[in-house]
Amino acid sequence: MAKRPGGELATRPLHFIWIADASGSMAGDKIHSLNFAIRDAIPHMQKVADENPNAQVLVRALAFSSGAQWTISQPTPIADFKWTDVKAGGVTDMGKALAMVAEQLHIPPMTERALPPVLVLISDGQPTDDFQTGLRALMDQAWGKKAVRIAIAIGDDADKDVLKEFIGNAEMEPLQANNPEALVNYIKWVSTAVLKSASSPASQTSADAGGANVPIPAPPDPNAGPAAPGDVW
Amino acid sequence: MRDSTHAPVWQVVGCSVKGASHIRNGLPNQDAMRWLPDGRSARRSSFAVADGYGSARCCMRPRRGALAVLAATDALTEFADGLRDLPSLSAIKRAAEERLPQEIERRWNAAVDADLADHPLTEAELGRLEERDGARSRERVLTTPRLTDGATLLSALLTDAFLVFLQLGDGDILVVDDDGAVSRPVPGDSRLFGNETTSLAGSDAWRDFRVGFTALAGPPPALVLLSTDGYANSFRDDAGFLQVGADLLSLIRGDGLAVVAAALPTWLAEASEAGSGDDITLVLASRL
Repeated sequence: MAKRPGGELATRPLHFIWIADASGSMAGDKIHSLNFAIRDAIPHMQKVADENPNAQVLVRALAFSSGAQWTISQPTPIADFKWTDVKAGGVTDMGKALAMVAEQLHIPPMTERALPPVLVLISDGQPTDDFQTGLRALMDQAWGKKAVRIAIAIGDDADKDVLKEFIGNAEMEPLQANNPEALVNYIKWVSTAVLKSASSPASQTSADAGGANVPIPAPPDPNAGPAAPGDVW
Repeated sequence: MRDSTHAPVWQVVGCSVKGASHIRNGLPNQDAMRWLPDGRSARRSSFAVADGYGSARCCMRPRRGALAVLAATDALTEFADGLRDLPSLSAIKRAAEERLPQEIERRWNAAVDADLADHPLTEAELGRLEERDGARSRERVLTTPRLTDGATLLSALLTDAFLVFLQLGDGDILVVDDDGAVSRPVPGDSRLFGNETTSLAGSDAWRDFRVGFTALAGPPPALVLLSTDGYANSFRDDAGFLQVGADLLSLIRGDGLAVVAAALPTWLAEASEAGSGDDITLVLASRL
C-alpha cells in the first residue's frame, strides 16, 4: 500500500495545571492534606489517561504565597509526573499566580489543536494582591476563556466570591472542603471525572455549553467515605 | 459556460471511519457523507460530509449526520438544476450566498421534525440526558426537540463554470490545484476554537454558514476535499494536514483513484488511532 498522505500524526495535548495556595494560613494540616491528596490522585489520573490514549495529559503545578512560582514548570506527561510537596508561608498572591498561568496559555507555546486545559485553583484565604488584574490576564487568553476552571475552597475563610469569579460559570459553585477527607474526595474527582470529560469533549455550540466549556459531571458528596467527620477547618 | 469539450469531469470517492475513541467506548460513527451522482463521473457534482456531534443536549442519534448531508446535496442539486433562470455568474453567486444556507436549514429542520415524529424522544433518552446534564436540559429539549442533536456540515457543488462551497461549523474544505498547491476556499470563523462549533441545531443556523464561490476563468482545481474535524485534529500541525492535499494528488496521479479509494479506510483509521480518536470522514472529488 502507498504511504499514508499527510504529515506527522499526533494525539491532542491536554494541559492540566494545579494552582495551589501555599500561604501561611495553609500551614499544618491543610498543606499536609493538600500534598497528600494530590500525590494520592496521581495513579488515578494515570489510569484515566491510559483509558484515553488520544489525549496526551500534561501536568504542571504552581504555588502562590508571597509571589508565585512553578513547582513543576514543564508540562509533564502524567506517566512521569511526581508531585513536589508545597510548603506554606507568606501571603496570598493569587492574582500573580493567575497572571503566570495566563503567560503559559498564550498561543504559542499552546497550540490551537489542544484540548481545553484544566485549571484547578485551591485556596483557603483571600487574595492579598491584585486578583482582578491576574484574572483579566487569564481571561484575555483564548485558552484561558476556554479552560475548564475548577476551584476548591479550603475552610470557611476562603474567599468564595473570587473563586466563583475564577470559575466564571453561574451554574457551578466552588467546592467547599471543610476537612481532609472532603479535600481528598474533591481532588480525586477533579483528577478522574473532570479529567475524563476534558480529555474527550464533544463539540458543542455556545448555546449548548450553558457556561461550561466541557460538560462537568456532578461533584461527589464531600464527606463520602468511611470516615466522615464534622468540619475541622 | 465553458466549451463542453474542455469542461472538467469529476469523480467522487469517500470514506468514513469510526473513531478510535468511539470504538473503545462503544459509540456509533456519527459522521455521514453523500455525493450526487452516485458512483459515476460527471460534469457536475454535489457532495457533503457532516459530523453529527454529541452536544450537551445530545441524545446520540447518529442519523442526524445523514439527514444533514441529504439536505445539502439535494439542495445543491436543485439549485444547479435551476441555474438557467439566472443571467450571470454574479447572479449565481448572489443566489448561492442568499438562498442555499436557508434552503439547507429548511430541509434539515423538516427532516429532523419528520424523524422526531417517527421516532419520538424516549423516556430512556430523556432520563440519560437529565442524569448527565440536569433537569433543566431535559426541560429545554422537551420545549425544543430539534435541539436534541446537532450536526456540522461541509458541502460543495462543482460545475463546468463555477464552484460553490458551504461550511457550517468545524471541519475543512481544501482545494488542490494542478501544481499541488493547497488552499481553503471559505473564510475562517474565529468562533470555532477549542471544542466550540456552530451547528445546524443552532437558532437561525443559516446565518452561520460560510460560503465560497469560485468562477472558473482559469484551470479548474485538480482535487477538492471535504473532511470532518477529526481528520485535521489528528495531525501535529496544520502544515501536516494541508500536506494531505498534495500527497493525495500525487498518489492519484501515480496509482489511480481506485487504488487511493481502496486505501482510505486504512489511512483514516490509522489517523484516528494515532491522532484525535474522533470519527473521520473524507470525501474527495478528483478531476479526470
